Amino acid sequence: MSGPAESVSPKHQNRLGAWLQTTGGIVAALLLVQFLTGLLLAFYYVPSVDHAHTTVSFIEKVVSSGSWLRSLHHYGSQWLALFAFLHVARLFWDEAYLYRKAYWIAAIVLLFLVMAGAGTGYSLPWDARAFFSTRVAEGLMGGLPLAGRFARLWLLGGSEISTITLSRFFALHVLVTPFLIHALVAWRVLRTRCWSNLNRNAIASGLVFVALAVWCWKFPAPLGPAVETATADYLPRPGAQFLWLYQTLKHVPGAVGSIVGVVLPGIGLAILVALPWLRMRRRLIGGLLLGAFALWVSTMTVAAHLSDRRDPRTRDQLARQAQQEANWRREPFTPIKLGSPVAATQGGNSNDPPALYVKFCVDCHGPHGEGARRGNLNFPPLLGVAAKPHRTVDDIVGLLKDPPAYGLQPPMRSFNDKLSEPQMREIAQWVVQLKR
Amino acid sequence: MKQMNTEEPQLNKSRRSFLQLLPLGVFAGVFASIGGAAFRFLRPRLSAPSDQWLDVAGVSELTGPQPIAKKVLAEHVSGWVITNEAHNVFVLPAKNNQVLSPICPHEGCEVSWEQARNRFACPCHESFFAADGSRISGPASRGLDALPARVQNGKLQVQYRVNPDQETHA
Repeated sequence: MSGPAESVSPKHQNRLGAWLQTTGGIVAALLLVQFLTGLLLAFYYVPSVDHAHTTVSFIEKVVSSGSWLRSLHHYGSQWLALFAFLHVARLFWDEAYLYRKAYWIAAIVLLFLVMAGAGTGYSLPWDARAFFSTRVAEGLMGGLPLAGRFARLWLLGGSEISTITLSRFFALHVLVTPFLIHALVAWRVLRTRCWSNLNRNAIASGLVFVALAVWCWKFPAPLGPAVETATADYLPRPGAQFLWLYQTLKHVPGAVGSIVGVVLPGIGLAILVALPWLRMRRRLIGGLLLGAFALWVSTMTVAAHLSDRRDPRTRDQLARQAQQEANWRREPFTPIKLGSPVAATQGGNSNDPPALYVKFCVDCHGPHGEGARRGNLNFPPLLGVAAKPHRTVDDIVGLLKDPPAYGLQPPMRSFNDKLSEPQMREIAQWVVQLKR
Repeated sequence: MKQMNTEEPQLNKSRRSFLQLLPLGVFAGVFASIGGAAFRFLRPRLSAPSDQWLDVAGVSELTGPQPIAKKVLAEHVSGWVITNEAHNVFVLPAKNNQVLSPICPHEGCEVSWEQARNRFACPCHESFFAADGSRISGPASRGLDALPARVQNGKLQVQYRVNPDQETHA
């Protein structure tokens, strides 16, 4: 605690300036929150496509405090991204790249790692949002110049998104990224010879934590429908720290997306890291980069919000999704049935599918209506389908005649030429009584 | 900062040591609030022993002096999965169709029936039990436990539980 004044740059010899020097403490506190809550979530979470969404639902609905802890982890990551950037900006303002190169580089690498942690974390709940975020990550990797093909395959662990991909994201998220962040923080802490401004840091980070805790108590982290139950009209929206990327990708043509979304930010970070060794106009280059980035991100984030508000169809669909999620939260938790030799014998033969179902539907929707996934084709389960809107017996008969009219896409086809209406009705009556 | 420096000499010792505790206090606060939630979050989930009656076999096929090994199928809800598990039980036709749990009261291994020596043997620590389930020798402190059983519509049924002493928790 020796003389705070000596470590503060001349610009900040006033009270406000000293308060602006607390970004490091806030980032440290938010990292602590991420570490603790992540560790706790790992006690229940299972990284497998058939379990991930169910275990996250279990955390949300069954486990005490689960919703709050998951919300802390979810929103904490967004606040962390914001404060990690503000920390870089603050160090730049203090000209840390001149006289404290290690702090400067650590802050930029930390910003990168925080974004990488968030990017891998978004896939883990394996809800519809997670699936699309994985798809976007796949696309961004695949579009990289030169190494795109390999980057994509290595990220996915195969030629398509599968449970291997989820395992990879899990390992990257809970082992690799935290290890690198810990190593970085440890290095940064060990290099710190004198701790200045400690009380202000403590107060500021304490206030931020209280604000985050209250926010998370009011707002649970979002969880969309499971991948296999998501309907074709589902609109995925990324978390706040990726809205800029999402909005940008709307405006650039496909192949350029990877350049704009990955290569440009990467080059920007690399230049910032190299700033201490640049010979000329460091202040101008760094200021332009940080300013342009801040402007870009905030403009795109605002634009993303505005475009969702403006278009009535998007707005209605998003409202519908929010309503569905609220309804889902009120439903009791339903466990997964594991391989059931008993169910087959105990369930009796009363529920065998009609012969016509076996003939026409079973190949795609499974012998018990459980659905299937083949290659990148996803055949939705019919279990519990009656609980969805527009899936009465009459609707299903209509759907079998004309799938596109019910929003279904190929490979679901019309059975108008194969089945009579009574036959369709027989199948529909069997399908609506299937329970999840 | 300049104001701060002029104030500094006026800080008395106790205020200064309080200020030094502040960062620790914030750290402790974050830790305690998440830790409190963590305690609730990690609390073990007690499940009531199932009161499901599971079919063992038709009473008519249970005859003879020897214990008969049977499997019962039970549905378990544990955490986020429902599993169907087959459990071994032994029926004693000689003892009015008493149903024995195969779980050794010593350390919980599953005993097997040794036809040749007319006894149950535990594979782990060499506890042996007679054909009626009573203890013969070995480290087990008592005989094999009986499970709640009944006859319904000519079928022997049992309530399976791993630990028969377990009381029903709400």
